Amino acid sequence: MNRPMDRGWRWRFWTLLTIVVGVPILIGILLAVRFLPDRPVTYANIEDHFKYGSTGGERNAGFPLFLWKALPVVFADKLPQNGATGYRAFGMIYEKDEHGQDRELPVGVMRRRHVGLDRVFVNCAVCHSTTVREAPDKRQKVYVATGASHFDLGRLEKFFTDVVVDERFTASVLVPAADRESGGRLGLLDRYVIYPVAIALMRERLLMLRDRFVPLQTETWGPGRVDTWNSAKTGVNFVIGRLPEHERRGAVDFPSIWNQRKRKHRDDGQPMQLHWVGNNVEVNERNLSAAFGTGATPATVDHAAIERLQEWLLDAVPPPFPWPVDTARAARGAKVYGQHCARCHGKSGQDFSGAYVGHVTPLTEVGTDPYHYYSYTYDLAANQNVLYAGTPYRFTHFRKTDGYANMPLDGIWLRAPYLHNGSVPTLRELLEPPASRRPRFYRGYDVFDPVRVGFVSDVPEENGRTFALYDTSEPTRSNAGHLYGVDLPAADKDAIVEYLKTF
Amino acid sequence: MFAWTPERKRTLRITLVTLAVVLAFGAWFGWYKFFRVVEPPPFASADERFLYGSVGGEESAGIPYWIVYVLPRVFPDKLPGPNGWASFGFSWQEGKELPIGFTKKTIGFERVGNNCAGCHVARYRLSPDGPPTFVPTGPNHTFNLEAFFRFLVDCAQDPRFNAGTLMNEINLAADLSWIDRMIYRFVLIPFTGKQLRDRGPQFAWIYKHGLPEWPDWGRGRDDAMNLTKYFLTKLPLDDTLGPTDMPSIWNIKKYKTNPGTRLNFAGDSVDANSVIIDSALGVIGAPPSNNQTFLEQVEWLTKYLEGYPAPKFPVDPDPAKAAAGKPVFDAHCARCHASARTGTVVPVEEVGTDRERIKSWNKGAAIVANRIVKSFGIDRPGLVEDDPKGYVAAFLDGIWLRAPYLHNGSVPSLRDLLNPVAKRPRLFYRGYDVYDVVDVGFVSQEHQAERMRIPWADVKAAATPYDVSWRSNGNIGHEYGVDLSPGEKDALVEYLKTL
Repeated sequence: MNRPMDRGWRWRFWTLLTIVVGVPILIGILLAVRFLPDRPVTYANIEDHFKYGSTGGERNAGFPLFLWKALPVVFADKLPQNGATGYRAFGMIYEKDEHGQDRELPVGVMRRRHVGLDRVFVNCAVCHSTTVREAPDKRQKVYVATGASHFDLGRLEKFFTDVVVDERFTASVLVPAADRESGGRLGLLDRYVIYPVAIALMRERLLMLRDRFVPLQTETWGPGRVDTWNSAKTGVNFVIGRLPEHERRGAVDFPSIWNQRKRKHRDDGQPMQLHWVGNNVEVNERNLSAAFGTGATPATVDHAAIERLQEWLLDAVPPPFPWPVDTARAARGAKVYGQHCARCHGKSGQDFSGAYVGHVTPLTEVGTDPYHYYSYTYDLAANQNVLYAGTPYRFTHFRKTDGYANMPLDGIWLRAPYLHNGSVPTLRELLEPPASRRPRFYRGYDVFDPVRVGFVSDVPEENGRTFALYDTSEPTRSNAGHLYGVDLPAADKDAIVEYLKTF
Repeated sequence: MFAWTPERKRTLRITLVTLAVVLAFGAWFGWYKFFRVVEPPPFASADERFLYGSVGGEESAGIPYWIVYVLPRVFPDKLPGPNGWASFGFSWQEGKELPIGFTKKTIGFERVGNNCAGCHVARYRLSPDGPPTFVPTGPNHTFNLEAFFRFLVDCAQDPRFNAGTLMNEINLAADLSWIDRMIYRFVLIPFTGKQLRDRGPQFAWIYKHGLPEWPDWGRGRDDAMNLTKYFLTKLPLDDTLGPTDMPSIWNIKKYKTNPGTRLNFAGDSVDANSVIIDSALGVIGAPPSNNQTFLEQVEWLTKYLEGYPAPKFPVDPDPAKAAAGKPVFDAHCARCHASARTGTVVPVEEVGTDRERIKSWNKGAAIVANRIVKSFGIDRPGLVEDDPKGYVAAFLDGIWLRAPYLHNGSVPSLRDLLNPVAKRPRLFYRGYDVYDVVDVGFVSQEHQAERMRIPWADVKAAATPYDVSWRSNGNIGHEYGVDLSPGEKDALVEYLKTL
């Protein structure tokens, strides 16, 4: 037994060992290098991180990059037919890179290397970034941490849930299309294994979402709006079709999310009631709840990345009004505002003190559109208590309230259109009685009206791009209520608007 | 020839030691993942303990936490409403992970069980905009227990109850370790499915459909004696049906201080302690794993319930009117409800109320049940070994929150109860939690909703229909005070608010 092996046997032994052990190890290493990395694209600059950085949702919901790019090409007929192409048809924003070319992905789309391919999905910025032009011939300026006033999330959701049941949603159509988008760079493994498998998995996931989302009628939301709580209900798989009629729809404007630290305190020492219905006082729960929209579930959320955003949002400030302000008139406006608005909306854009700021005003008193209020129910609040169960992040602060929360007005100029449902296009109109507010206007056009303060809302079309009609007679879109200041003299109203420009 | 050479002995020793180590680790691992009991931290208050404290049901009837978590998401079509677990009308305190009456305990893995509070915490609101008030030991009139039973069995029998489907949903909600995912996939999900399916045959009677013979229990009721019959005594199914209101269980020292009184609607038991034992055994669904801890918890519950006061009417009653109602009460009600007769059985021939409940229990069942509990090693005075003959004349403490009225909950409000049978509502909706302080009862009819400006659709969505022509639902009998003048009735109702 102790006889040394001769040369031939030794050689055979090593060869065999290499084949039996070495080759599988090598293959294993190659596969691991290919499939194991979980690496988000990161940005040193916090605004870039907000626009393009990860929340972790791609791990759960991420589309393969080239498929993401191929979908609006293959299914161009399913895009909103408004004269725009690609994701621009949903009002998504493409910034220029350092070479002056459009970036590969629009604002609000994040990217991560995960399970062997680049996966992309929407992040916070898709609903919280907007553009403003000072005049039709001026350049678009991108603003972050505000409501995405032109982005049609509902139609984007409709698009994804429509294409998945189309006969073209197959590997044989989509893989070549994805390859074209990649510039022919898809490898054999991508083309014959990874992408076909990814398409199958995507179909499965999108079909599930389709079941849950179609009853929401997301296409009725319109640009700049989302049905927050019915979306949350689909997350816990409430059956929307079985809800009482008035609870089934409640689209509201995307809110601004800056200055979160200041919202942790109101005059009575308590934190402010957040969300339009004031149903939660915890900023962190608010943020994790919103992150569900980016596909970030308790199992996939990237807490480190979200905390970085959270930290920044605590003290992020709104951009100043980009036009000159008449200081004398603003000073006069400050007085009128102090008498009629400050108790509910804070002293100024920086000072949020006021007896009722961050409190909820009963619906019967404020009198604005009730649907969003109806859509948030005690039963949903109860079910939200189990979100993030088994982790230190479990939600414990959701409450049913009796109305809408009084918001601080920081950066209010950029938060047009106004009221929770975006039913009043300009600040100046909000100071008029509902009968004098525009009953029909257009949303999605980003030229700004610095006089009345709000986006220019009577332009149905520009260079072939059509905009969405907002009809205040439709459910969830009423411009009634909030009758504060409507009886003031016109000069006082003008002065208030001037003062609000300084917020 | 085989010989024990030193080498072989050594090999054997190494093998044995290795085997022992592996076995010991395996045993430890099995104990850790399946049997290790983690004692929950003590409760902040007695009410918390009542609401969320274990009665020992997790061991045999507990369902793994993440299965409970995803069931309403995987099977929303089988829920009685659109709102997840909340559809069953559990009372859910703000910020709490589980509804009232649900317990969470780690025995190897986290398990969810139930306790008494599931059926015995009332909730009410005075307007649809306010948050609910919870009253421990009050009747849970919103809870659809039968739908809950059916849901569990139905889910387990559905082809979607498989590891693949459930794990997909669990993985959306939780970041379980690989080991735990394997345990769920290969052990807990199949095992739980089998356990729930095995309960199916005993629940056969709640699957009998067809009106008017087999109505649903509806919200706020349970077929208590049949549950005892089929689960504790395992007697064969008979054709009886006797759902009754969930009772209030506050202030039970009244049964002690008034000897000769009976408990349960038909007076099936003589002693509060026995009722608590039998009800807790029903929640556990098996002999207690440890009689001593079980009886200690029962002892604690008895003390807690003995001293728990009946709740005050939420709006101050009009003192003058209530005072005027007192003599009316004394003249027309006190004979049964404030006298030596209170708490004793009134023959059904005399009170004239629906008889189905008393048919659902009998002497034979009582004898078997007593024998079985004794065989568990639990000594208790127990159930009355006789056929029930009527219904207990109830103590009226906190009567306002015990709507709807009569043992089967067939009369929605006190005002309705003072009407002759012909004028009592024949169809109403049970289980909506807004309280009507005028009629004294929950909003259950359209005219109440209109008066209180509540969308009738909301009431119907949260409630279950109750038709008095369905079997066991009769609203006959107890026609006392029906001939009083409207003024006298007003005064009497006002007085009843003070009880």
